[in-house]
Amino acid sequence: MATAAFTLILGAAALLLLAVAMACVLGWANQAFHVEVDPRVETLNDALPGANCGGCGYVGCREYAEAVAAGQAELTLCAPGGASCAEQLAAILGTEVTPSYPYRAVVHCAARRDQRLPVPKPQYMGERTCTAANLVSGFQGCTYGCLGLGDCVRACVYDAIHTVEGLATVDYDACIGCKACAEACPRNIISMVPFKAERMLVVACSNRDSGPAVKAVCPVGCISCSLCAKKSERMQMDNGLPVIDYDHYQEECDFAESIEKCRRESLVFVGKPGSKELEQVADEELPARIEAAFHTTVDETDWRG
Amino acid sequence: MESLTLLLQIFVGAAIINNFVLHYFVGICPFLGVSRRVDMAFGMGCAVTFVISIAALLSWTFTFYLLRPDAPLPTWLWQRLGGDPSVRIDLSVLSYIMYIFVIASSVQFVEMYVRKFAPKLHKSFGVFLPLITTNCAILFACLIILRNLQDPAQLWGPAEALTLALGGGVGFTLAICLMAGIREELELCDVPRPLRGAGITLIIAGILAMAVMGFAGVDQNLQDAIDAFLN
Repeated sequence: MATAAFTLILGAAALLLLAVAMACVLGWANQAFHVEVDPRVETLNDALPGANCGGCGYVGCREYAEAVAAGQAELTLCAPGGASCAEQLAAILGTEVTPSYPYRAVVHCAARRDQRLPVPKPQYMGERTCTAANLVSGFQGCTYGCLGLGDCVRACVYDAIHTVEGLATVDYDACIGCKACAEACPRNIISMVPFKAERMLVVACSNRDSGPAVKAVCPVGCISCSLCAKKSERMQMDNGLPVIDYDHYQEECDFAESIEKCRRESLVFVGKPGSKELEQVADEELPARIEAAFHTTVDETDWRG
Repeated sequence: MESLTLLLQIFVGAAIINNFVLHYFVGICPFLGVSRRVDMAFGMGCAVTFVISIAALLSWTFTFYLLRPDAPLPTWLWQRLGGDPSVRIDLSVLSYIMYIFVIASSVQFVEMYVRKFAPKLHKSFGVFLPLITTNCAILFACLIILRNLQDPAQLWGPAEALTLALGGGVGFTLAICLMAGIREELELCDVPRPLRGAGITLIIAGILAMAVMGFAGVDQNLQDAIDAFLN
């Protein structure tokens, strides 16, 4: 009994003593080995969400805060914090936030499957992926445009791109601009565009061939007439295709004349629908019950034996 | 010469034959978590070796004077208080909590020290240094030391404890660097889809462990070779 009590008390005392001793040593070490850090780093770190998601490209929020304090990083890199977080960071540093725009994927092709003219060659019977079909001729006439076999759809983990009537179409409510589809596309017809407005004008064609050659394979593709570029100073012809200068693109830029002049369907607005589009469909009735679309379920496996 | 042979045996035993990771399966979390690149794995191995040595020395001190059966400090206090000298005072129930305490504190101390005097090293360690606190390889080394101090026939001194810690640390570094080297090569391999990621990593760890089983018995042969050399 006495031994047990002694052991108990001695154990408690030993632990207590050890705790006190370690606390003293660590407290002293904290003082003695104190490292001066930029006090702004602490404040910046507090302003960040603390999610340590790594989305900014730094290891954790603290490292991003250090980079911001050192002036090595943009203020707008924090995706979870968003615009308000960037403003807080700017307020701490006493600077202004330069606006940044979200980059979204844009498909530079407008031809649906029935619009793509075939070539008089044996029909492509191979694997149903764009990468495979791109290796051979004979899939479709246009050697620049969308193949519609959905490599981009499979690459997208946000379910933000689908093949609608054989044409890859981005769902801008879901797209976060991760660039996976642009990297997956073997024909490089998906590019990332800074969305300075809800709706952006894009050149929906990638065919650089001359007019007759385009007309032979596609009823909607750009025929390099360069009328649009003559009507707008923000557009230029580059190697058979008009290029929109997104650096100087502004919402109020007027491309109406260019769009009017285009005799094909190569200049289109993409993004969220504008007021005109919403007015057009305002009197259409929505179905009471929406049926599941089977092409968006797991049944969409490309299994062909 | 006797003791030198013992130290050599302890070192080889901890580093290769009874490798902490590949034989006892302790310290698996950093072994799987930080073995993506060889340079990071080596850094982690060095950090573990460093902390394991400090923790082993500290825990040997505590165990020898306080925790083992018949430890001098409690026995002296017991007899001073007029207790029965024939009763053995054994505080080894405290070993786990004491070791965790010691390990956590020494990791904290080492981190502060490194941050002050070797900022570059601190940056390259990053988040790994605090993570070592929960590395069970270190607690395991402390427990081996406790086991060898509980038996009065083979009372280990600080040299043996330190050798065990160094051997364990070197063995851990060896294992994690081997793993990282294999995993770097694995990036280029066509692994079957269901096995990608953790699956193939665990399979490799198992194969490595089986390979290390081949070292069993080396210590006896080593002993024989040294004996033959001395005679």
